[in-house]
Amino acid sequence: MRGNDAPETIVEAKDLTRSFAMPAGPVFAVRDVTLSIRAGEHTAITGPSGCGKSTLLHLLGCVDAPSSGTLMFEGKEASTLSDRERSLLRLRHIGFVFQRFFLLPMLTAAENVELPQAEAGVPRDERRRRSLELLDYVGLASRADHRPSQLSGGEMQRVAIARALSNRPRLLLADEPTGELDQATGEHVAALLDRVNADGTAMVIVTHDPALAVRARRVLTMRDGRITEDVSR
Amino acid sequence: MKHLIFVIALAGAFCGVWLHAQESTPTILVSRQLAAQEGLNVGDAVELATDERGGKSVAFRIAGIYEPTPDPMRLGAVPREVRLHLPDLLALTRDESTPEGTEHVEAINVALANPEDASAFAAELNAKMPGILARTTSGAAGSGTTFVVLERFHLAIAAVTILASTVFLLALTIMLVDERREAVGMLRLIGLPARRILVQVLLEGLLIASCGAVFGLVLARGSEYLINAFFQWRYDTALVFVRVTPSVAAVCVAIAVPLGAVATVAASWALLRRSGLRLARR
Repeated sequence: MRGNDAPETIVEAKDLTRSFAMPAGPVFAVRDVTLSIRAGEHTAITGPSGCGKSTLLHLLGCVDAPSSGTLMFEGKEASTLSDRERSLLRLRHIGFVFQRFFLLPMLTAAENVELPQAEAGVPRDERRRRSLELLDYVGLASRADHRPSQLSGGEMQRVAIARALSNRPRLLLADEPTGELDQATGEHVAALLDRVNADGTAMVIVTHDPALAVRARRVLTMRDGRITEDVSR
Repeated sequence: MKHLIFVIALAGAFCGVWLHAQESTPTILVSRQLAAQEGLNVGDAVELATDERGGKSVAFRIAGIYEPTPDPMRLGAVPREVRLHLPDLLALTRDESTPEGTEHVEAINVALANPEDASAFAAELNAKMPGILARTTSGAAGSGTTFVVLERFHLAIAAVTILASTVFLLALTIMLVDERREAVGMLRLIGLPARRILVQVLLEGLLIASCGAVFGLVLARGSEYLINAFFQWRYDTALVFVRVTPSVAAVCVAIAVPLGAVATVAASWALLRRSGLRLARR
């Protein structure tokens, strides 16, 4: 936070455009999007399939590079970073939660949570302690030594959330985090994400699920690659 | 009593004559194969002749049985041979019209105490004795002999095999790496740089290639034993058909390990060039 002013801006996008070259001509997945995400903000991005929600999320998370426009991450230009620099930025400052969990099947829950910390150079003892804390935070302390195949879908997504938080990111991006879960399990995961946000992590969630979107304080609606509505509550 | 003493003396004289005869009989060595076939033993008396009818045969006593030096040029021909002292051989084979001591030979083999002196010895002999051509055995073999040609043929087969194996290995590695595309995509998405993953893959490739090389060497040693055992039994020879020497093993490891690692990295590089998103999506 900056004194008594508005919360610090984590991500600032200006005229962000992402196009893909196709034989019939370029296809614009995201067009001239300008927005900012502030610390602690809880934002949902909704819209019909193919409207560019996920592409925008990937641009904000530095997974993909924009075709044009600028992206500032914590005040630094991020749109022109090299692939390696974007990777390290993601590793240290951004957490990702995906619809399909993406846990490494050969690692235990604790090891999956440890992985980003190990890559960030956190000492072994410290990352083990942090992993167990995070698993306790998501309610899975007793499943630390279980492999993904021994966990339910909801449990795997909670491990994925713990992994996303392992390097203490200031921004958590989630792409349809409840998309593969039943309603009750999805509700638990949504509550957990609310708690993560309440504890200070800014969050951007792409979702089709109105029940998940309604939990956000800010809802962006997209259509044809543009933000058509930006509603804050 | 006088008669008894006479009989004993006569028997003693016979024994002496018999023993003398035993000692004066020239000796020969018999190959193991011939001894086995004819049921010969050390100490047996045999007669040798140079014509098939056995005319002018000479008596010999078997002094020993030897294992013939394996000769790959005579593979399949069981060596039923005897070795004679040179004077005995000359006496046995000399034509009646040839006076003793005037026989000629076309070639002799000379074994040196130190084989490394062979070239110097041959050079010195050629210089000192005009009319005699002295060559080392390796020099005599020349570059166009059967086994040199065979070795080149084996080298060509090895090169083609390695090339084909490389293509196969690369295809196999691409398939195996592709099975891990989702995991690689996830690692890229959470922020592992491509180079970091590539190093990990390279280490894995080196480890797997090293294990493969060790397995290959163990298999080669096992095959060496079995192939030699079978063909030595089949051709009744002590010839060594396959030998995995340290240099052969070193060459194999030197080719296999880098090749395995390079194949893994090449296959992975094709994967890592794609974005994490594309990898993670099915």
